[in-house]
Amino acid sequence: MGTKIALTGNHCASRAAALCRPDVIAAYPITPQSSVVESLADFVYGGKLDARMVQVDCEHSAMSVVQGAAAAGGRVFTATSAQGLALMYEPYFRMSTLRMPMVMAIATREMTSPESIWSGQQDVMSVHDAGWIQVFCESNQEILDMIIQGYRIAENPDVQLPVNICYDGFYSSHLVEGVDVPTQEEVDAFLPAYSLPAKLDPDHPQALDPMTPGALMMHYRRSHLEAMQTALNVLEDVDQEFAKAFGRSYGGAIDTYRLDDAEIALVTIGSMTGTARDAVDIAREKGIRAGLLKLRFFRPFPAAKVARALAGKKAFSVVDRSVCFGWNAGPMYVETCAALKDVDERFSHFATIGGLGGADISLDHLLTTLDLLNSSRNEPGKKPVNWLMVD
Amino acid sequence: MSYIDVLKNAPQVMTPGSSACQGCGGEIITRKIMQIAGKNSIFAVPPGCMAGAGVDGWAYSNGCTAPIHITLLDNTASFLSGVSEMYQRRGRTDVNIVAIAGDGATADCGFQSLSGAAERGTKMLYVCYDNEGYMNTGFQRSSTTSLGSRTSTTPAGKAINGKPQNAKNVPLILAMHGIEYCATASPSNMPDFVAKVQKGLAASKNGFAYLHVFSPCPTGWAFRPNESIAVARRAVQSNQFPLWECDKGEFRLNYKNPNPLPIAEFVKGIGKFKALTEEQIEQLQKAADARYAIVCKLAG
Repeated sequence: MGTKIALTGNHCASRAAALCRPDVIAAYPITPQSSVVESLADFVYGGKLDARMVQVDCEHSAMSVVQGAAAAGGRVFTATSAQGLALMYEPYFRMSTLRMPMVMAIATREMTSPESIWSGQQDVMSVHDAGWIQVFCESNQEILDMIIQGYRIAENPDVQLPVNICYDGFYSSHLVEGVDVPTQEEVDAFLPAYSLPAKLDPDHPQALDPMTPGALMMHYRRSHLEAMQTALNVLEDVDQEFAKAFGRSYGGAIDTYRLDDAEIALVTIGSMTGTARDAVDIAREKGIRAGLLKLRFFRPFPAAKVARALAGKKAFSVVDRSVCFGWNAGPMYVETCAALKDVDERFSHFATIGGLGGADISLDHLLTTLDLLNSSRNEPGKKPVNWLMVD
Repeated sequence: MSYIDVLKNAPQVMTPGSSACQGCGGEIITRKIMQIAGKNSIFAVPPGCMAGAGVDGWAYSNGCTAPIHITLLDNTASFLSGVSEMYQRRGRTDVNIVAIAGDGATADCGFQSLSGAAERGTKMLYVCYDNEGYMNTGFQRSSTTSLGSRTSTTPAGKAINGKPQNAKNVPLILAMHGIEYCATASPSNMPDFVAKVQKGLAASKNGFAYLHVFSPCPTGWAFRPNESIAVARRAVQSNQFPLWECDKGEFRLNYKNPNPLPIAEFVKGIGKFKALTEEQIEQLQKAADARYAIVCKLAG
């Protein structure tokens, strides 16, 4: 058995990454992710982790270095936030479209402008269609566990895609919680050594990514989309196998709380879910039949699971920590609606937007949101956006 | 072994049938570097003339018999850093890690990635074939384009005549990173070129090696394809492109040239310089004199 210790979310990410025995780590510091890089450097410089650590000049180089190392047959890791993610977009897109498996932690952060260093999910949501698998974590334990699971999902021969393990900057990255840290032997038993062949190898020469005409590209894109759908099944299997090995299951693509007999539902993601669980409990005490759907994987989007979980509910609201500029809503809300047939006829529903730039999503916010849902539950159709303002 | 024997005995790594223009300097440089580095190498060739000529491959066909990757325009050095780290980790230090990139991918958008890899002492050889512009996409200006050059983004206009600025001295900037080996070379001086590629490959086993090679471009610069080597030779003889090396911090001038050909002679017959004014020729002469003088000082 491992040990139970108090760790920040960032230290959970670095501990987990180290337990996965990466060959090459490249990273660049950025708030609120920096302590991930710092602690990995501590492990490597202190001789506790046998990995090549490349301290790069920027995030574009961080993703490029791990891309080169992955092409040379290595298991790799990096971490970033916000502006760093935006800067690395070019090799980021290429990592997934080269079908190279890896894990990158993202301590999510608001995108500038306005200038901000605080929490928000606009960074990841802005790159949700770059071909990566993206999972959001609620607790520090989940961060640690999902990094280990992430490599299993990424390196599955039928998937071969990179995975983002996302958690709310500051709320999770800097919050200390008690976590079970598994032993190296336990992780080794769950996660075998990296075994995919090197793409750049003089013993098996080939051109990696020559100029590709459309007829071939169509095959690649179709295969990528199919791998994403395969990942929806693989991530459920990995969750089950992880539960068997470590005794913790997260429910796969989504998690639910008191949702089965609920009339109204909150849809949440990441660290706000803890507050939402309390809000549901309080509403229940008042006789309101409230429930919760926690979206864990945003890519691939678990449309069928979401549709099944919300079937028969009277009303729902999706709480987004980022915006979708073209829809007067948040991205999770837009996609949840897209997953539901005849959404306006079957549900009272509205977008909720809160927690931007580090603004809090409070218990009062979510209780008020549940009240709004409850009072409109018998009037199907789209209602105005619910902004969780902090004045 | 003489340089002729080196080139005669080493098998070709770049495949025949490249679609480079006639008289392309980049093609000569790339072919010979690949030959000298051999098949036990991993090459990165970013978008540019050599990628356009098919060195990175096209669909199911390959332009190179060794492993090769078309890196992004701006991440050649950082991508190869990762390849190098992984090969060091696997104990495969025998494998040559080689970049062959144009001046845009080197001096402009790829410069940060290059500087980072150089500063870290990454074990690799980075070669820039400098044809002074984005030739593959129709000769747009780069930071190594010579002053007064007509390019498609610095035309010879009535208000502004060609590129107003001098070229950036990229090899000297790289030498100032304190790298293992840094040198300039020209296809007109083949013994020197071959020796420097060999030195660069040897140095790449200990740290970062950089070669900056003059790459005449008949199509973009507008001169006859059979004059490529002559143009390169005049560049060396006029101190437009001095040949030097910096071996572990020690500078050496490889072509001592106290009585250079005037720059006015170098630019003759090169279309991109056709509209140069007397004043611009003077500016180019001043820049060439300064380029030679600083290397002389550094070489003691």
